[in-house]
Amino acid sequence: MKSWPILALSAAVALAVPVVAHDGYIIQLLNIAILNAIVVLGLNFVTGWAGQINFGQAAFYGLGAYTTAIATKAGLPWIASPFLSVIVVVVASLMLGLPTMRLRTYYLAMTTIGFGEIVRLMIVHWEPVTGGTSGLRAIPGVSIFGFGPQGQMQHYYLLIATLGFAILIASRIRHSVLGRAMIATRDSEIAAEQSGVDTTRIKLLAFMIGAVYAGLAGCLYASSIRFISPDSFSGTQAVLLMTMLIVGGMGSIAGCVVGAVALTILPEALRFLGQWYLVLYGLGVIAVIVVAPGGLASLVSLSQLRRANAG
Amino acid sequence: MTSEPIIAARGVTRRFGGLVALDNVDLDVPCGIVQAIIGPNGSGKTTLLNALSGASHADAGSIRIGGNEIFRLKAHRIARLGLARTFQTIRIFENLSVIENVKVAAACHTPTSLFNIVTSNARQQQSEAEIDSNSREALQIVGLAGRANDNAKQLPYAQQRLLEIARALASKPKVLLLDEPAAGMNMTESMTLLATIARLKNSGITILLVEHNVRLVMGISDRVTVLDFGKKIAEGAPSEVQRNPLVIEAYLGRRHRHA
Repeated sequence: MKSWPILALSAAVALAVPVVAHDGYIIQLLNIAILNAIVVLGLNFVTGWAGQINFGQAAFYGLGAYTTAIATKAGLPWIASPFLSVIVVVVASLMLGLPTMRLRTYYLAMTTIGFGEIVRLMIVHWEPVTGGTSGLRAIPGVSIFGFGPQGQMQHYYLLIATLGFAILIASRIRHSVLGRAMIATRDSEIAAEQSGVDTTRIKLLAFMIGAVYAGLAGCLYASSIRFISPDSFSGTQAVLLMTMLIVGGMGSIAGCVVGAVALTILPEALRFLGQWYLVLYGLGVIAVIVVAPGGLASLVSLSQLRRANAG
Repeated sequence: MTSEPIIAARGVTRRFGGLVALDNVDLDVPCGIVQAIIGPNGSGKTTLLNALSGASHADAGSIRIGGNEIFRLKAHRIARLGLARTFQTIRIFENLSVIENVKVAAACHTPTSLFNIVTSNARQQQSEAEIDSNSREALQIVGLAGRANDNAKQLPYAQQRLLEIARALASKPKVLLLDEPAAGMNMTESMTLLATIARLKNSGITILLVEHNVRLVMGISDRVTVLDFGKKIAEGAPSEVQRNPLVIEAYLGRRHRHA
C-alpha cells in the first residue's frame, strides 16, 4: 500500500494544525471545512461513483442540522440527535430516491433541486420552530453522558476524528462489491445490469449513504458551530458542494477532502480583494477544470503516471 | 438432444415504431452447444440478443432460460439466472481496473451487506477473497491475468473484448451470449478467440453468438440460425444452412454479388 505515507503525512498535518494556528477564527473556518469535506464525501457516493447528479445534498445537511438543533434545544439528550438526524435523512432520501432512481441521470437533478427549495422554504417559513431567516442560536453542544469537547480546539479534534472515520468507511465501500457496483452503474448502466447489478438499488443506496453523511455532518455542524441559519443550506450551498466535488476530483476520496477544504478556505483567504474575490475565485475554478478536468486529485495521479512512464 | 433446450423462445416480437425488428421468432438452443445467429445488417440479430438478455424487452412472446420464464424480467435478474453476455460496441467499466471489471460480475451471486462492508469483518473478507479468486480465474481463461491491475481503458481494443468475455464468465453463466466477439480483431486474435470459445464449450457452457463474419461462424458452430428482416428463414447444421437457397439469396448471395 503506497498510499500509507501520504495518509500518515496528511494525518500528522491535520493534527498539528491547531498547534500552529492559534487563531480562533482560523480554527472555526477549518471546522467548517472539515464538515463540508464530510458532506462532499457523501455526495461522492451518488455523484462521483454512481454518476447521478444530486443537488439535494445541502438540504440533507440542513435537515440534519435543524433536527439536531430543534431536538437538543427542546431538551433531548445530545446522544439522541445523531440518530434522529439519520432517521430524518434516511426517510427523506428514501421518499425522494424510490420514485426517481428508476429513471436516468437528469431526473434526480431536477427532483433534488425541487427538494432543496422545499426544505429551504420550510425552514424560512416555519418560524416558531426553525427561527425563520434569523436561524437558531445557542444550540447545546456535543455532550455524551456529560462529556463533550470544550472550545474550538477540542471541537477541531472531534471533527478531524469524524472525518477520518468517514474516509475509512468511504474507502471500505469503494473496495467492496458496493463501490464497484456504483462505479459500474455510472460507466455503463446496461453492462452493469447484465453483470447482475441491480442498478436501481445501487443508485438508491449510494444516494441514501450520501444523505446519511450529510445528515451526520449537519448534526455536528449544529452542535459545534452552535448557530445555524437557512443560508448555510441553500441552493447556492448545494452548487458549492458540487463545485467542491468537481474541483477536488469526482470519484476520488482524497479529492473530496482537498476540494472541500480548498473551496471553504479560499473565499476567506481572498477576502482582502473585496468584491473582486469572486472574479478570482471563478477564474480559479475554471482554471482547475480546464487544466485538470479530473479535478485536483487527478493532478497527483497524472504526475505519478508521468514519473512511472519516465522511470 | 433429448433434454429441454437451455434457451426456448416462442413468438418473440419486437417493434420500433412501424418497423418490425423481430417478427414472431422461435429459437431453441440445446444445452452445451455453440449456436450462431447470422443474417444481413438490420436483420434483428442484436435485437434478439437484447430480448433474451433483458437489455431491451420484447413486446410479445415467451422466453425460457433453463426452464425459467424471463419475458420482461429485469436484466440483472436474468443475469442471476445464469445468462451472461458481451456487447457489440464495447461496454467495459472505464473507471475500474481490469480485475475490478470482472469482480462486478463475480459478485453476481453474493448478497451485499452494508454492515459487513462497513465493519470489514471476517465474513466480508472471506467473500472478497472468493470474488477475487473467481475473477482471477476468469481473467486466466481469456489470457488477461497479467493485466489484472491495469486500468481497463488502457487495454487495447481486442483485449477489451476479451475483458468483456472474462466479465461475462465471472458470473458463472449457463448460457453465454456473444455479440460479434471478433469485431475489430485481426486474424491471430480471432483464432485465439475461436480456441477460447471451443474451450468454453468443452467446460459445459452453452454459447449463442451473433457474428458478421460467416466463415468464422461456420467453423465453430454446431447449429446456425439465419435471420432476415426480423424473421427466421433457416436453421440447422452449418453445412445444411449454407446450401439453403433462401439463405444464399438473403445473405450469402448478396455478399457474393458484392465481392
